[in-house]
Amino acid sequence: MSGDRLKIILSLTSPLLIIITLFFGGIFYGLLQSLGYQPAIQKYDINFDAYYNVMFSERYAKLFWTGLGLNLWVSFVSTFLAAAFALFGALAIRKTFFAKTFCNFIYSLNLPMPHLVVAIGMIFVFSQSGLLARMSSQVGLIGSPSDFPILVKDKYGLGIILTYVWKESAFFFIILMSVLQSLGENFEELAQSLGANKWQRFRYVILPLIMPSLFSASIIVFAFSFGAYEVPALLGISYPQMLPVMAFEFFLNPDLNARSEGMALSIIIAMIVMILVIIYFWLIQSKIRKN
Amino acid sequence: MNNKFKFITFAIISLFFSKLVSAEVAPGFNSWDDVKAAAEGQQVNVYMWGGSDAINSFVDDFYGVPLKNDYSITLNRVGIAGTIDAVNQVLSEKEAGITEDNGSIDLIWINGENFWTLKQAGLLYGPFATGLPNSKYVAWDNPAVNLDFGRSVEGMESPWSSAQFHFIYDSARNNYEDMPRNYGELSNWISNNPGRFTYIKPGKAGFVGTRFIKQIFFELSGGHDQWVGPYNDELYTKWAPKVWRLLNSWEENLHRSGETYPANNADMHALFANGEVDMSFTQSPRGAGPTNSSGTTPLTSRAFSFFKNMIGDFNYWAIPYNAPNKAAALIYADLVLEPILQAAQVQPANGFCCGWGIGTDKVTNLEGIAAIKDAQNNLGDAAEDQGILAKALVSDIAAEYQDKIEADWFANVLLK
Repeated sequence: MSGDRLKIILSLTSPLLIIITLFFGGIFYGLLQSLGYQPAIQKYDINFDAYYNVMFSERYAKLFWTGLGLNLWVSFVSTFLAAAFALFGALAIRKTFFAKTFCNFIYSLNLPMPHLVVAIGMIFVFSQSGLLARMSSQVGLIGSPSDFPILVKDKYGLGIILTYVWKESAFFFIILMSVLQSLGENFEELAQSLGANKWQRFRYVILPLIMPSLFSASIIVFAFSFGAYEVPALLGISYPQMLPVMAFEFFLNPDLNARSEGMALSIIIAMIVMILVIIYFWLIQSKIRKN
Repeated sequence: MNNKFKFITFAIISLFFSKLVSAEVAPGFNSWDDVKAAAEGQQVNVYMWGGSDAINSFVDDFYGVPLKNDYSITLNRVGIAGTIDAVNQVLSEKEAGITEDNGSIDLIWINGENFWTLKQAGLLYGPFATGLPNSKYVAWDNPAVNLDFGRSVEGMESPWSSAQFHFIYDSARNNYEDMPRNYGELSNWISNNPGRFTYIKPGKAGFVGTRFIKQIFFELSGGHDQWVGPYNDELYTKWAPKVWRLLNSWEENLHRSGETYPANNADMHALFANGEVDMSFTQSPRGAGPTNSSGTTPLTSRAFSFFKNMIGDFNYWAIPYNAPNKAAALIYADLVLEPILQAAQVQPANGFCCGWGIGTDKVTNLEGIAAIKDAQNNLGDAAEDQGILAKALVSDIAAEYQDKIEADWFANVLLK
């Protein structure tokens, strides 16, 4: 008994050490810097000035709160749309062999594509000087390329959402397909033989079965899109600006005092994601208990 | 004020005596021969912005080869995305307790706030710049050289080249004669050509945009002279609202009605090359030449300058406090000031983008003079008249203005 326990402890030690030193070490160091502790420039006081500055100072408050709004909007909308697209796509084609193989192939191609590349592609295709704008003005749909609707670098983050939906729906799709495949069709056939129609089979049989994996995939996508920098940096505008881009601009400032603000903002982003994830888990838990 | 003056006098006097006592050319070296002897066989690790193939190969060809042949020094050029990366690395090394000769960077291509950050934190080696033999070619009496963004250089960095703000237009779309020659004319141009102009968002990534704004202060306030010297809050607060009013009056006629601004030079060139706007900014004495040959701007692009208030500045080499090969770094910093090599960096055929780091009038040997003349004659038709540029040249101003302008532009223009 005690031998087993020792074995477990020993085998857990090395991964735990890595996680603790790299992850919590990084968070701890970031937290210290965000509290104004910067030995490099002889600052040893601990205070919340950086947090206050970022959230409430005249200079940054407006940028921060609009940025937060944009962040929430982009992350919620793109997670929801990507999940919805993938779900209906997967349900529609899972029984047709050819379409399934084809879509699986297409989506697998999409998956390893870096977000950066997709974002650049969006600019090439959807910007006002992009492929679509030029083609539509060539064939006379619009007068000049600048009449093309503003889809990237726009106020509402449409380009960013488009990129995330395109990239993340592939992720959802592949997870859903594997879950659906492992479920088989027994449950559905059973429900059908009991007289359930198509909608009922979806709502009361399939959805509850795939919900746990859909939920955890959503958490991953939401957390990722909330904290990712490269897509909003390429496809966003100067104002409103998503929080990771704002945070990075603090780090670009050669004035080392600005580093605390950058760290504070990063910690805020991390905290928001963590809180949302906790709420999420709590909701799922209470739902499962109810069922 | 008085205390500051006393301090400077004291500093100069003590510097003078310390020089007499040790007669060093640079800390740790008593003569230039010492430096040469110590540098032999070293590898010099040069950290510089690596975004331009032309500059990279210029450094490899024109410095790497003589360093190897004449001094047995191996050049290791490390390309970085921005100078701030090198600054951060030195800072991290300091935090990690890496001192003496155990760092990883020997030289950083630097100026402005990055220099100030390192100097302020005591992370630079020096003073060394005036100890270099070729320092005699540097115009140290020029405030544009001995002040870097309004802050004293004090021998902690040595110049490499220079740049001056002016504009690019496309001769296939516009005529040279029709281009505006001051901010007043630019205002009219913008209202006559709605949607065809934008400027770079002032900020840390877009200091060229900040520069564009500073020049408006000079023009509206009637001249650059009053802005030289330490930060003057009264002067700034007097003129700032007028500048924001002007910029806001442009807004409806800017590209995309000022909803978003290009974040840096590359974004601005892209808008210009795509035909979305009619002007871009350049810092090169060759005007549109470097971007034309790299394909960033259309081949028909040319340069034009306002007749006044075009900010020019110098860029430098600095040596971190923990540079592993300080002797080789000194040799390198000296080599780049050779008149022949300075002429080579201006010579368009060599592909480098920037201007003189030395005062060309200080060169006396015939070979050097000939090389300088030849380079100046070859600048090409993508460059603005060098006389116009020289007449418009003004120095950059105290770094406090930079931060102030960036913050206030955000609040008064972008967020309005």
